Amino acid sequence: MSRGNLFLSTLLWLVVAFFVIYPLSFLVLESFKIAGTNHFGIQNYIDFFKDAYYLKTFSNTLLLGLLVLLTTTLLGLPLAYILARYRLMGKTLLTALILLPIVLPAYAGAFALIVFFGKQGTVNLLLLEWGLISKPINFIYGLHGLVFIQALHLLPFIVLSLSAGFTNIDPSLEEAAEVEGAHGFKRFLTVTLPLCTPNYLAGAVIVFLWPFTDWLTPLIFGLPDFLPSIAYINIAYHFTDMYRKYMGIVSVVVSSVICVAMFLISKRWVESKKYTALSKGTTLEGRIIDPGAFIRLGSYLYMFFTAILVLLIPTVLGLSAFSRRWVLEPFPTYWTLDNFRLIFIESPGLLKNSFVFSGVALLFGVVFGLPAAYLITRTKVPGKDTLDFVITLMLAFPGIAVGVSYLLAFWEVVPLATHWMVMPLSLFVRRLPYFLRMAHASYLQLDISLEEASEVSGAGKFRTFLNISLPLLLKGVFVGVVMFFIMAFQEISTAVFLYRGGWETLPIGIYLNWHRGMEFGIAGAMAFLMIVIIFILLLIVSRIGGGILGAAWGSAGGRY
Amino acid sequence: MAFIKIKSLFKKFGSVVAVNQIWLEVKKGEILTLLGPSGCGKTTTLRCIAGLERPDEGDVIIDGKQMFSQGFIPPSKREIGMVFQNYAVWPHMRVFDNIAYGLKLQKLPKHVIKEKVTEILESVGLAGLGGRYPGQLSGGQQQRVALARALVRNPKVLLLDEPLSNLDAKLRERMRFEIKSLVRRLDITTVYVTHDQAEAMVISDRIAVMDEGNIVQVGPPEEIYKKPANRFVADFIGTTNFISGEILEVFKDRDLAYIHTEFGQKMLCRVLDSATASPNKKVHASIRPEDVEVFTEPPEDRDNLFKGIIMHRAYLGNFLYFFVNIDSTMIRVQAPYDMMEKEGEELFLFLNPEKCIALF
Repeated sequence: MSRGNLFLSTLLWLVVAFFVIYPLSFLVLESFKIAGTNHFGIQNYIDFFKDAYYLKTFSNTLLLGLLVLLTTTLLGLPLAYILARYRLMGKTLLTALILLPIVLPAYAGAFALIVFFGKQGTVNLLLLEWGLISKPINFIYGLHGLVFIQALHLLPFIVLSLSAGFTNIDPSLEEAAEVEGAHGFKRFLTVTLPLCTPNYLAGAVIVFLWPFTDWLTPLIFGLPDFLPSIAYINIAYHFTDMYRKYMGIVSVVVSSVICVAMFLISKRWVESKKYTALSKGTTLEGRIIDPGAFIRLGSYLYMFFTAILVLLIPTVLGLSAFSRRWVLEPFPTYWTLDNFRLIFIESPGLLKNSFVFSGVALLFGVVFGLPAAYLITRTKVPGKDTLDFVITLMLAFPGIAVGVSYLLAFWEVVPLATHWMVMPLSLFVRRLPYFLRMAHASYLQLDISLEEASEVSGAGKFRTFLNISLPLLLKGVFVGVVMFFIMAFQEISTAVFLYRGGWETLPIGIYLNWHRGMEFGIAGAMAFLMIVIIFILLLIVSRIGGGILGAAWGSAGGRY
Repeated sequence: MAFIKIKSLFKKFGSVVAVNQIWLEVKKGEILTLLGPSGCGKTTTLRCIAGLERPDEGDVIIDGKQMFSQGFIPPSKREIGMVFQNYAVWPHMRVFDNIAYGLKLQKLPKHVIKEKVTEILESVGLAGLGGRYPGQLSGGQQQRVALARALVRNPKVLLLDEPLSNLDAKLRERMRFEIKSLVRRLDITTVYVTHDQAEAMVISDRIAVMDEGNIVQVGPPEEIYKKPANRFVADFIGTTNFISGEILEVFKDRDLAYIHTEFGQKMLCRVLDSATASPNKKVHASIRPEDVEVFTEPPEDRDNLFKGIIMHRAYLGNFLYFFVNIDSTMIRVQAPYDMMEKEGEELFLFLNPEKCIALF
């Protein structure tokens, strides 16, 4: 083992220790603090679980997680099967559409669907106008609406992981079932589906954990009684009320513990059930068949239905972006570019901040991620597996945990939170494993003998990295870079705790404009602008990374 | 009495013809092997019998029942057992459940299923391993699970798709005999696919040699070896020497012909089908290394005696290989292991006309 590797390892560990372990430990420690004293105890937790209200938010969040999982599973299962197994014209395009929400911020979708399905929304107004109903129907407000919007946002995770499962099954395993007498649905239930459980679980855990992370969507629906939402309200608005502050912190820790635990359990389970390694000769395409006319029609209807729901989001946001005073009308009537004028001329800081913060975070990500990937895949430095584990664990931590812990840890002892650098730093830490996973995957595909050949020819490790590894890794790294940027660009759950006047990003701008109860137009225009930027970035990725599908895949792999 | 009948079976993938209108019959209780190089259409033929592939044309009849052409009976209704090349043992089920799968679908009572599975586990040599997951078994054991699963329902037909190709050499050799005796004992009509000619020779009652989607020859192993129908079969089965030349004269009554060889001498060959032989026709005479007689001193003069020089000598323990050069034509000869002749020395080869077979 070389001294260079050891030095690198120490350096990376220091970064992780200072920016990950320290703030998160601070958060946990703080949750045990007895208010107003310097003593520690479990009083806060006892209070939390004795308080009927917090207990209710706890069970609400669990219930929401289960309902969202159930909905995405029911919707996603047929969709995944269609995508994986049927040969259909235009499938790639429809797939890309259906997978779009993966890169769209969930809150943008929530706004759009309220405008369209809300009590004074387009659908209700049209139905009233046509005389089909006499008073507005509640399509969207309430738990069912929340489940619907979160399910729509999370559907791609289930679809992607399941369809990968369907594709990767060795065809002969299904053929054997057929020879044994199991036809059609029976075969599907006894062989195909069980073989996909590891894939399903990988997607399901992301879906189930989402309600423990997403504080904003419930608030938009006026339903604050969920763990992350109440944590946000308590900490952001009632920081001086000691009881509420500590209940907020406990909520964050409880959410984190559940997320990390679920993540670890599912990870363990998936690893113990790795079926794919067993069978040989898997074809890349799996079994793709030409469906009959009836199934074909059904598949198209199903895909179109989902695609339309997804497309509603950018469409509605687009309509509101180019109009003002869209109130009590099914469609806007007053068209204008005013919203964009407000964004670009009166508050250009938002855009600038978003780009700068995401860009700097990205720089940190690359500077940290590439060496970390190298260390983990190519060396035998002691503790590298632990390093990998700690970094990977960040995938499970809710964004608000990062935000709150930075707020607490970098305030008095280390006054980092007073400098704008805390914004990109927190974004970088939040997506820490993200770029690493990408670089890691690229590294695994890079045959080590190519690097060894360079070293044998006389190049040192660093020169080999620059001359051989980096150029060969570039494509994978580039896709990783863009996806990281997209994720950082729409990040809000961490940033909302840390921003100060002048540090607002585009997502925070959207939130504030909605929150202040100003006209929806500006928030809509901002969200629309964000979608356009993300879409352009996605196009670049798909050019390089081979299809929007591939790009979305990267994101799915990264978030997990 | 033909148990499986295939009539004019035709299947293509895109523009590639995989199986080109083949006819084949398998008798009840027989073990028939489809033998050929990769891409010859043997697996496609097998999958058409199984119903995993839908033929483009032709009939597949099993036990008098039309499986294809008038309607299509799916694999699940064909009462067949199949062993896949990669075993296709379901990793999420225990060994017991893998084997019991088909029986459960038949809705047999639990104790009957248990009895049958226990019995078949014993006969494939896996007694006591029913509770294991496939991941806990070796490749050879997984292979036995696949075999047990295919046999437990007493299928009408057993189909095996290169079942031994993933095993190591020693185990492979043993499994050949085990499979053969097991299938014999259960008296199941069997179609076996392999590209390994030695495996085919050991296991089969009859071999159907396939090449480029066609069946080139069907017959018992001995007949295929001794009387190959064409150059491809002679070359693919075992090792042989080819001597090319032109026919000079045909003796129809004795099924023999003189040919003018590439090294400029006259040679007498057997003609299997003398009707097709005529003077000036190009031929390839095939003779196997073990059929060449070797002399160090010239014996009495006779037909087909040629002098050559040893180019290589290879010692294989129980015999020797000499590569003998007769005027730039290289002949491989199998000789007794105690011959001491070295490279560069002279040898006399007698190519017995009865064993020199003229192929077109």
